[in-house]
Amino acid sequence: MARFANGKAPFLRISDAKNAGTGVIMRDFMIGLLPVILFAWYKNGIKVYMDGNITFFEMLYPLIFILLGGLISTLFEGLFFYITDKNVRTLKALGAKLKVSYAIIPGLLLAMVLPLYTPIWVLMFGAFMGTIVGKMLFGGFGNNIFNPALLGYVAVGFTMMGVISNAGGLFNASEVLIDSYGGATPLGVLARTKAIDYNILVAPYGTLWNFLFGTIPGALAETGSLAIIIAYIWLAFRKVIKWFTPLIYVATVFILSWLIGISSGEAGLWFPVYSVLSGGLLFGAVFMATEPVTTPRNPLGKVVFALFLGVLTVLFRYIGNLPEGVGTSIIVMNLFTLPIDRMTAVVRANGVKKTTLVTTIGFSGLLIILAIYAILKVQTIYTALIPFFPIIREVF
Amino acid sequence: MILRKAKGLHIDGRKQMSKESPLHEHLNPQFVYIPLLQQTSALKRTVEVGDDIKIGQVVALREGFGAMPIHASISGKVTAIKKVWHCSGKMVEAIEIANDNQQRMADSIMPEADVTHFTREELIEKMKQAGLSGLGGAGFPTYVKYQTKSSIDVVIINAVECEPYLTCDYMLLNEYPEKLLKGLHYFMRAASAKRGVVCFKSYNKHIRESLQPLLQKYEGIELREIKDIYPAGWEKYIVQQVTGKTYEGLPAEAGAIVDNSATAMVFADVVEKNIPLISRVITITGEGISKPRNYYVPLGTPVKELIELSGGYINGLVHEKAWYIAGGPMTGRAILIDDLIVSDTLGAVIVKPMPDEKMHPECLGCGKCADVCPVFLTPTEIRRAYESKDVDAIKNLNAQKCMACGLCSYICPSHIEITDFVGKAKDLLRKGA
Ligand code: SF4
Ligand code: SF4
Repeated sequence: MARFANGKAPFLRISDAKNAGTGVIMRDFMIGLLPVILFAWYKNGIKVYMDGNITFFEMLYPLIFILLGGLISTLFEGLFFYITDKNVRTLKALGAKLKVSYAIIPGLLLAMVLPLYTPIWVLMFGAFMGTIVGKMLFGGFGNNIFNPALLGYVAVGFTMMGVISNAGGLFNASEVLIDSYGGATPLGVLARTKAIDYNILVAPYGTLWNFLFGTIPGALAETGSLAIIIAYIWLAFRKVIKWFTPLIYVATVFILSWLIGISSGEAGLWFPVYSVLSGGLLFGAVFMATEPVTTPRNPLGKVVFALFLGVLTVLFRYIGNLPEGVGTSIIVMNLFTLPIDRMTAVVRANGVKKTTLVTTIGFSGLLIILAIYAILKVQTIYTALIPFFPIIREVF
Repeated sequence: MILRKAKGLHIDGRKQMSKESPLHEHLNPQFVYIPLLQQTSALKRTVEVGDDIKIGQVVALREGFGAMPIHASISGKVTAIKKVWHCSGKMVEAIEIANDNQQRMADSIMPEADVTHFTREELIEKMKQAGLSGLGGAGFPTYVKYQTKSSIDVVIINAVECEPYLTCDYMLLNEYPEKLLKGLHYFMRAASAKRGVVCFKSYNKHIRESLQPLLQKYEGIELREIKDIYPAGWEKYIVQQVTGKTYEGLPAEAGAIVDNSATAMVFADVVEKNIPLISRVITITGEGISKPRNYYVPLGTPVKELIELSGGYINGLVHEKAWYIAGGPMTGRAILIDDLIVSDTLGAVIVKPMPDEKMHPECLGCGKCADVCPVFLTPTEIRRAYESKDVDAIKNLNAQKCMACGLCSYICPSHIEITDFVGKAKDLLRKGA
């Protein structure tokens, strides 16, 4: 008689295979980030260097900045483990622990959505808020409610925007020289002028192709729409992210923006395309709205989550007067992840009955009508709502 | 609707290893142990220590729901009543019979001269008296299904065997193809059904080749290939494929009865020769077995003998670092002591070295488990409800629908025991409600 090991069914696991499991997911995620990082480096470093506007070291700076973000958040998390957990005081244990808690990711993403001339200490502050406050104090990887990178971003937006502008802000050395930009990003222009006019919104930055290729001003990595689309295809193909979440999010913004355009007498498709390609929408949709821990687990929940994100983003952009609605929307929706997940899981498990279907359609219809109505009344509603949005308004 | 389509999953079958050598008969173990347990019912023993036993003699009775007799699988003498390891993972009392190697048959076992006159009721009574139960793993008494009040259009034979590693149904079918059709034919008569369908996995072309020429002899029987996915052998899936209908409780609601192929083959012998359910085929396989293969054995045979016949464990197998699994790898159970006996629901024993330990993070929340669930549950939510002991939520989340297919744990990149959490939630629901 021999004694055998205990175990639980199933005795076959994908994660047991050498080339599977979370390690592979993270590797694929990093590969997905690569084109975006490379683009950010090209746009803010290499190209500016070739223009002859910066020195060689300054050319390397964007890359260094992003990697530094990853390094800093890893260090913070390592330090946190070292202090709080007696079992992980050796380098080896610490390394293993950091690997399975993906310490590097929040920092990397944070650096990518910050302006190029963010001082390093501001980056550190953001990474601290993201990793320590947003992640570790919630109980570490898997328990955090808010997307750590975004939380860091919001914290920086809250308090440090002036500091960042003083340090040089969004514009790289080539971009400040272009007069037509007038020192604003496309969405900033929209927020200021409230005019849906091709000549004001798009023309100063060239054509919409520039929006696609990413040669417009914006945060470090968020403008590279094409690079982000490539990343999206890769991540969806590798099943790292669910393919429909970003698609639904972007499509909702597209449709609502189009309606807004039509309502103000501008039916051209350029406006929804402009809305989708400017600001951090694509970046947020692909890398933040799909972040597994802080978004719903079940597919129906993801659909609902993405729909709400789209509506919220549009609301924030056109009513909340936030040039950048993406970050705020995602942070707000993170709060609702658990209830959405629970409700949609119940609906999914019990089958979609007619009544639930009707209420859902009715409910979302109401929401959209409300949104459109509000948007049509932009000026008045905006002033009416402003008292309720002081905090959010401050954020960006 | 895109969100509610059961996709199933292709899983590497690893069936080849036990298919290579032919079905091996091992008809005379020294002892057999007839467990006094069928499904979850304890059986009433009808023999005493010292009694003389013939093959096919009744030795125990199942009482209450699904009442039926249980028979001796060898001839000899009852030598003890003792506890043995059963594939349910518990030790149960069993009747130990010492083999006299004379194969004396009970008088009831004799060929029928004419099988054409049996009525539906007589056939159902035969199932009951033969102690016939589902050999696919659930062990449900077969006759109970045929006593249904609903009218049955189709009897479906499940030869899909979707669990990886298992080849017992295939090997038996391969050996006696015609027996399956006979069994199905009698099943159809027992259900007054005009249509019979044999379902098998698409890669088993061989089944089609051997059954097709025989079909003209049996009216109303057709063959049906099922996609190579897991869990294609799930009753609901098969019924849906064949009839296009879904149901909540029993397949009879959709006008169908589903039986495992091995059960049908036993039934052929029940009808024609009056041999009750006393033997089955079991797959002994896994990376930890020297020569994996299938055995045709009397019920109650110790698995240890079969493993010895298979050349024992591979050299260098570290027992503490290996699993001894009763049943298939997806739904089976780890048995701690390798002292199992063959019973009606045990289709396989798999010995498999454990994979190397890896460090896994917390649940990522990736949602792959919810994606893959054939009954559209969200295991992560059920786990959350279980951890906060929220019985209502568990109920709303429909945890009781989980069929324990194991896919959620299988797919989880983070190695979370998520199937187990759902199982625990179900237990809580049962206790709480
Ligand atoms: S339990 Fe596993 S499969 Fe399910 S969400 Fe968590 S990590 Fe993903
Ligand atoms: S074990 Fe249960 S919860 Fe998990 S996939 Fe299968 S049916 Fe769904």
